[in-house]
Formats: sequence, structure tokens, C-alpha cells
Amino acid sequence: MGVIVKKVELSWLDRTYVWPVMKGMSITFGHFIRNLFTTTPNRYTIQYPEMKKEIPEGYRGLHELKRFEDGAIKCVACFMCQEACPARCISIEAEEFSDLNITQGFEEKRPAKFSIDMLRCIYCGMCEEACPKDAIWLRNDYEVAAYDRLSMKYGKWDLMNTYAEADGKERLSQDPTPSVPRRTIVM
Amino acid sequence: MDKLASLLHMTPAIFWMVVKVVIVFSAIMLLASVWTWVERRGSAMIQDRIGPNRAAIFGKIRIIGLAQLLADGIKFFFKEDLVPEDANKGLFWLAPFLAFVPALIGFAVIPFGRSFESGGVTYYLSVLDPGNGMGLLYPMAIGGMAVYGVLLAAWSSNNKWSILGGMRASAAMVSYEIGMSLAVVTIFMTTGGYDPAEVIKTQGHLPWAWNIVRQPIGFIVFFTCMFAETNRLPFDFAEGESEIVAGFNTEYGSMKFSLLALAEYSHLMTASALVATLYFGGWQVPFVQNPTVMLSVASFLLKMLFFAWVFVWIRWTLPRFRYDQLMHLGWKVMLPLSMANLVFHAWRMSQGH
Ligand code: SF4
Ligand code: SF4
Repeated sequence: MGVIVKKVELSWLDRTYVWPVMKGMSITFGHFIRNLFTTTPNRYTIQYPEMKKEIPEGYRGLHELKRFEDGAIKCVACFMCQEACPARCISIEAEEFSDLNITQGFEEKRPAKFSIDMLRCIYCGMCEEACPKDAIWLRNDYEVAAYDRLSMKYGKWDLMNTYAEADGKERLSQDPTPSVPRRTIVM
Repeated sequence: MDKLASLLHMTPAIFWMVVKVVIVFSAIMLLASVWTWVERRGSAMIQDRIGPNRAAIFGKIRIIGLAQLLADGIKFFFKEDLVPEDANKGLFWLAPFLAFVPALIGFAVIPFGRSFESGGVTYYLSVLDPGNGMGLLYPMAIGGMAVYGVLLAAWSSNNKWSILGGMRASAAMVSYEIGMSLAVVTIFMTTGGYDPAEVIKTQGHLPWAWNIVRQPIGFIVFFTCMFAETNRLPFDFAEGESEIVAGFNTEYGSMKFSLLALAEYSHLMTASALVATLYFGGWQVPFVQNPTVMLSVASFLLKMLFFAWVFVWIRWTLPRFRYDQLMHLGWKVMLPLSMANLVFHAWRMSQGH
């Protein structure tokens, strides 16, 4: 069954062309005048390098590997994110750590290497969903660019410090020596 | 003005001629290139955008986007000048000039200010003095020439999309030329002559005696046809990204392309000058019987620039016509309208008005 499209009946005034053209011109002129007296920052366009868009909560930007207050990495190298990643751009190498492993029988794991290839990442957020420890977040930085491919491969320390400046935290470059088993600390 | 005139007495007449030529044509070229800026910024404002505002001299001075003009000029100058392999090289080179020159020299007969008398000599503010025997037939004829530039550009570049654009442009031009000419003939008729000075003089200084009031239909036909004539939207059939790549200038790049673009804007300037002369009293200042020379020049410039702006304004208001709609409008609406206009005014004149 065909759809009956209702035809718009034009009045004789509209069919003269001249009147509708004038109407259209008055609309465009209104826009012109309004923009003429609006300063550039107040227009709709966001002037990118100088002005930036408010990034909404939950935006999926550059990743951060979360840390505890003492600077230890939250990630337990469970490989869930690596499995979940549709772009296959996460690669993790796990290691055991802590002397307490031996004395108290705790087994603690952490990534020795954790790298995300930002050129392959599609910022889907699956890694964040998959993580049982809430250790990887996608946050609001969208200005991910570099001059060469290699520097787009973010390592463990890059990922731990991606938002250090924005959050006012210090940059880390080594794991702290653990004194108590991580498990007793409330996450 | 008197001092200037006394300076003129001491120099041979040819000097005055050269000054006029240089001033008029460089002013048109300058205005044409500035109008590319007006077009881009104006369209941006109409569409709630910002437009080009990033180019800056020394990274600082942006002069509300005008630096973009310089940047574009420099860019066009240093771009590689490609000529397609199988193009007709000679015509390919010639075409931009054939488009540009007619657009420019059409302005030659249009008076851009009141003539002034000094030391028994009358100085006319138009490149060719009135009484040259060509009058307004000249810009009409030259304007018709402009299509050769477009067509040659299309033809010589050996590209089927280009030739389609060129064909469409010339078809549009032919169908609109007639309606336009008839509208102008009506003016010649009521004026009793085709010299632009005469046309302006008979219109007088009172706005309700101008041709726009006396022949509104003629004005609408003429102005519409001018859009087709200058190949601008909504009748820009030489171009069309969606159908024929870029149109007649597909194969053009670097300075040749910018010359084609400049030709379009020069044509626009000449067209708006014609509209101002024919229908809006040329250099006449409303309600001022004998304006000073400066005032008359300013008045003419204002009218011309206003119509140049209307060209831009309409372009960003109306959608493009389809080709058959264009033909329909040209042959079935514009031509009968201008004919009716002609007949009506002929009848009125026979009634002694
Ligand atoms: S955001 Fe998606 S693609 Fe990027 S690392 Fe996480 S899971 Fe992989
Ligand atoms: S899912 Fe979380 S805890 Fe597991 S390896 Fe990935 S980031 Fe580490």
C-alpha cells in the first residue's frame, strides 16, 4: 500500500516566488544581524583551541589506571580487560609482588607491563566495564595525539599518570613498597 | 575637488583617461577580492557560523578575517599549476582571461559619479565618456561574452563533467539573456536613449521617479536574469558539486582558478553597478538636487555595494534550482513577463504618459 503524501497547497501569493523569497531573505537577514551583534565567543561555534566544550560525566576519553592512596596500582592483572577489548589493543604482563606473599601466604598480582595502543583503541569503554577492580577508567581527555606511532603506545606509567596533573596528584614512576596486604584496605 | 581639477588642466587629456582606468579597474578588482571575504563571512553569519577567522599576519593581526584574503592569494600563487594531459593548452590558458576581462570591462561605460565642469572642460566620471555611441548596449554585449570564458574553460580542460557544466551555463545564459535584454529595452524605450548618463538623468533625484518604481516587473526580471548571467546561486549551473564534480573549473588550480573566481566576483560587481544604474538612479542622491561629486560617488558606491550584498544574501537564502526548473522559469516565466512589461510600457507611452 502506498503512502499518500499530502501535497502542500500553495496560495497564489506563495506561487509568485517573489513573496516567499522575501520571507526567506528576512529570515536570513535576521540571523545575519543577530550574529553581527554577537561577539564571537557567544556564538554557537566553539572556537576550539581557545574554548573547550564542557565534557559530560561518563565521557569515554583517554584511560587512566587508578591507584590507591599510597600510590599502588589498583589493577590486579586479571586480564579481564584484555579479553574484553574488541580492538585487542591492551597487552598486560603480570607479576607477583610483596614479601607478604611468602610470610603470610597472600598472593598479590599486579601488572609488570600494561600497555594500550591508543591508535587501535576505539574508546568503547569495554575495558572499564570488564574490570572487576574498577582499576581502569575512561575519562574526559580527548586530545590524544602524537607525532609518531610509538608514542601512541601508552605504557603502565603513562596510563597511571594520564590525569595526574588534572587531579593535582604527583606523577608516579615506581610502585611503592607494600607494608600491609592490599586486601585489608577498603577500596 | 577644485584643486584636483586645476591639476587636471595642466595634464593632457590622456592622463585623466589613464587615471580613470586605473582607479576604476583596480577598485573593481579590489572590491571583487574583498567580496570573497564578504561572501564567506556573511554566509557564515547567515548560517550561525563564524567563518574564516584564523589566518593572521605574523600570527597576531587577524583584522576580522581579512588576513584570509592575503593567505588565499599567497596560497594560490605558490600552488602547482597543473594542466591536464589532454587539455587544449592554449585555450586552457586563455579561458580564465576570457572570463575575467569581459567581467571587468563591462564596467567601462557606467558613470560612477556626477560629471563636473572645470575650466570649460567637462570631466565625466566614467571610463568612457557619454556619447560614445555604445551606451548600455556595451555592457550587455560584453556580459554575453563572459560565457565564452566559462565554456572555453570547460571545453579545453577535456573533462566530461566540465563540459557538462559549461554547456549548462551557456544554456542558462542564452535563455536568460533574452528576458534580460527585453527588460533593458523597456528602459531604453521610456528613457528615449541608451546612454547610461541619459538613463540616470531621466530618473532624477526623487526615489519615486526611479525605474524601480516605474517598472517593478522589469526590475524583478532583470535582477533574476542577472543571477543567471553571473552564474551565481540559485542559478549556478556552471558548477554543482553534487552532480558534476566541481563544474567548469574542475581541472583548474592555482592562479588560474583564482582568476576564474575573481571573474565571478567582478561580474557580480558589474552586475550590481548595472542594476543600480538602470533601476536605482545611478549616482543620484535621493532628495538632493545637485549633489557634490563626492556625494554622488558615495551614493553610487553605496547602491552598488548594497546590490552586491543582495547577491550574496540571496545566494545563502535560496536553494538551487533544478535544471528543468531553471529552463521553465527562464522561458515560461521571465520571457513572457518581460515581454508583457515591454508591451505595457509601449502602450502607456502611446497613451502619452
Ligand atoms: S576502550 Fe575499548 S578498545 Fe580501548 S582499550 Fe578499552 S576495551 Fe579496548
Ligand atoms: S580488568 Fe582491571 S584489574 Fe583486570 S587487568 Fe584489566 S585493569 Fe587490571
